[in-house]
Amino acid sequence: MAEESALIEVKNLSINYDDFAALRDVHLTIQKGNITALVGPSGCGKSSFLQSLNRLTDLIPGCQTTGEMILGGKNILSPGCDVLSLRRKVGMVFQKPNPFPQSIRRNFEIPLREHGFSKLETTDRMEDSLKRVGLWNEVSNRLSRSAANLSGGQQQRLCIARALALDPEVILFDEPCSALDPHASGVVEDLISSLRGSVTVVIVTHNLAQARRIADHLAVFWVRGGSGTIVETGATDALFTSATDPDAKSYLTGIRG
Amino acid sequence: MVRSKRNGDLYFGIICGLAALCGIGPLLWIVYDLVKLGAGRISPGFFTDAVRESGRAGGIAPVLHSTFLIVLCCLGAAIPPGLGVAFYLTENGENRFRKWLRASVDLLATIPSIVFGLFGMAFFCRFLGLGFSILSGGLTLACMILPVLIRTTVAAVEALPDHLRSSATALGLTKTTILLRVLLPGATPGIVIGITIGTARALSETAALIFTSGYATRTPDSLLDSGRSISVHIYDLAMNIPNGAQGASASALVLLIALLLINFLTNFFSELWLKNLHSSK
Amino acid sequence: MSRLRSDRVLSFVLNAAALLCGALVLGIVLFLSIEAAPTIFSGKISAFFTDEKWQPGSERDPQFGIFSMLLASVLITLLAAILAVPVGICGAIFRVFYAPESLAKWQDRFLELLAGIPSVIFGFWGLSVIVPFINRYHPPGQSLLAAGIVLALMILPTIALTTKSALTAISPSLMAGAAALGLSRPAQILQVAIPTARKGIAAGCALGLGRAIGETMAVVMVCGNIAQIPHSVFDPVRPVTSTIALEMGYATAEHKSYLYAAGLVLVLMTALFLLVRIRKGASQW
Repeated sequence: MAEESALIEVKNLSINYDDFAALRDVHLTIQKGNITALVGPSGCGKSSFLQSLNRLTDLIPGCQTTGEMILGGKNILSPGCDVLSLRRKVGMVFQKPNPFPQSIRRNFEIPLREHGFSKLETTDRMEDSLKRVGLWNEVSNRLSRSAANLSGGQQQRLCIARALALDPEVILFDEPCSALDPHASGVVEDLISSLRGSVTVVIVTHNLAQARRIADHLAVFWVRGGSGTIVETGATDALFTSATDPDAKSYLTGIRG
Repeated sequence: MVRSKRNGDLYFGIICGLAALCGIGPLLWIVYDLVKLGAGRISPGFFTDAVRESGRAGGIAPVLHSTFLIVLCCLGAAIPPGLGVAFYLTENGENRFRKWLRASVDLLATIPSIVFGLFGMAFFCRFLGLGFSILSGGLTLACMILPVLIRTTVAAVEALPDHLRSSATALGLTKTTILLRVLLPGATPGIVIGITIGTARALSETAALIFTSGYATRTPDSLLDSGRSISVHIYDLAMNIPNGAQGASASALVLLIALLLINFLTNFFSELWLKNLHSSK
Repeated sequence: MSRLRSDRVLSFVLNAAALLCGALVLGIVLFLSIEAAPTIFSGKISAFFTDEKWQPGSERDPQFGIFSMLLASVLITLLAAILAVPVGICGAIFRVFYAPESLAKWQDRFLELLAGIPSVIFGFWGLSVIVPFINRYHPPGQSLLAAGIVLALMILPTIALTTKSALTAISPSLMAGAAALGLSRPAQILQVAIPTARKGIAAGCALGLGRAIGETMAVVMVCGNIAQIPHSVFDPVRPVTSTIALEMGYATAEHKSYLYAAGLVLVLMTALFLLVRIRKGASQW
């Protein structure tokens, strides 16, 4: 396990969709360089929580977030937060691979040029991050072809590489393997595991075995009184063997959920 | 019982089949008549010669010239605001102005073309002082095809998968970049379809042009000259010129072939677009 | 910060385009109203709607009543509807439920092409084929009937294609359910499919008819252009649109303002059809 120092401090977070309280009173500390897995049954606010970490919740009409999320001394949720540089620092990889349906090269050029990198740096960074996700050998000779022609697993690795190219401090993964076949899923899982230490990872997964394999920390979400909340957090091994919350315990041991 | 049910099905099918033929037959009939009447007039000279005897003789070169300029003016004036309005609609949340704007685009789409002609005459020709000119006609047509452009562009952007926008946002891109570098390239085939449909509309239009770009048969020297489009030429020959039917059929045939080509292009782009969308989903 | 400025420029440009477009609609209504103002405020507005006589050329006592023309517009549209709606719907039923896939594809193609034929070509064809044909049996040929037939052909593709999409949008499980109840195919179609798709079909008809009432070129060439109240479908008539097209070229002063007022009336009528479509929920985009 990497050394412990808090990177993100979440205090008293609540998320409302119009009148519906999706998430209430969430407290969580995310350790730097660690992999934190968010687990729990469907509909208990894991994805909402993840999206609020880089303010993607802004895209949802009627969505309101209250509370504090401190990253680098600044509150992510404050109106004055520069969301563009926040999103550069906090990357995201989605359930369904979502490269832009343009050339592989353009997939890197669009974000990198936007964030002020020169053409030369863009090429270097693209190569570096493609190598980091193990895709370089597969695509180096067809960078100008459409990313839409890649296989699902390749597309997902491209998306991870695209996020890595911006040098983020955190990458959020929203069930990154659930739309992939078992082999591709394994490759992506190993890749996420390899990010430990260099990037802080927050991952939502429904696959408890996967959470157990790759996560250092676990946060168990559950629905309490109609709204989602975190019922227990802790080191992965400890939680799997001896959770104290009865719901978390039955969920992690496979009795419920 | 079973027997009569099966017969009922057969008769019903036959009636419906005949109805379907009514939709297909006239097209062949129209094309056949135009070819019979007008094909004899069409020769290379028809495209290069000046109009003589009000169209009963000679070619349609100046008419093609005017038509081209009118359509060019129309597209040039309609595309930028059309895209602007479409992106305004897709990039802003629902509000009252947006609702109102959509309703007014709908209204614009239902206004009869002759009314656009009236408006163009009052506004472009007289109020702006452009007179009976190619420019007046083109601008009037631009107002007319604006709704088509807006709707196809909105549809093209909305057909893009949602994850495109969220992944672009998650990379910290500005709205401008998302729009110009991610959404616009994705929606381009759809936008091109809108432009081809708009071009076809502009080529077909007569009523909006007779009081705005006029009837002149000579080759226009500038955009402020009067010039007749090919549709107006057909109308004039058929209605006002005795023995103009042959010239009208020949011109109609030319127009029809041009529209057929545009229709072919439109289909080509839609298929391309669907394929693109499919592979990116 | 410069990145945010580009966002501000973009938002300014988009807002400007949106305002321009909104202003255009208002501008059209405004300019028509300004031009029609002498008529609207002349105090003869009720005579304008109810008077049968339209004699703009008369030096001593010009008459401007558009009643006969409004009637002609409505009758032509009605006739076109009577001809095109059943044929269009039945054609669409054939396309969706009877035609094999390869034939259906061709049917769509042909309808799209028919929809793309310019109105001036329809008018010209009507003038050189339909009018002589009617003339042989019931002179003069240029008549309400000729206009109705030509317009029916013009709006047929609109009705057939919208009905087709409304029918194909019906969920297959609904039709399977109807079949499982032992309904014959005509019964499935007439009692289940058509009622389910009725909103879409109605909206398609409204779209077609809205077009028909505003159509100028196809009608002006075949309707005979005599401003009178027709006594049979073989009588020549003159709808509002034709009047504008024929007289705008030389109209001055009072005459012209009446033509603009007629244009305003046209906008109102087509807006009515739009309202029907919005009510039917077909305008959601």
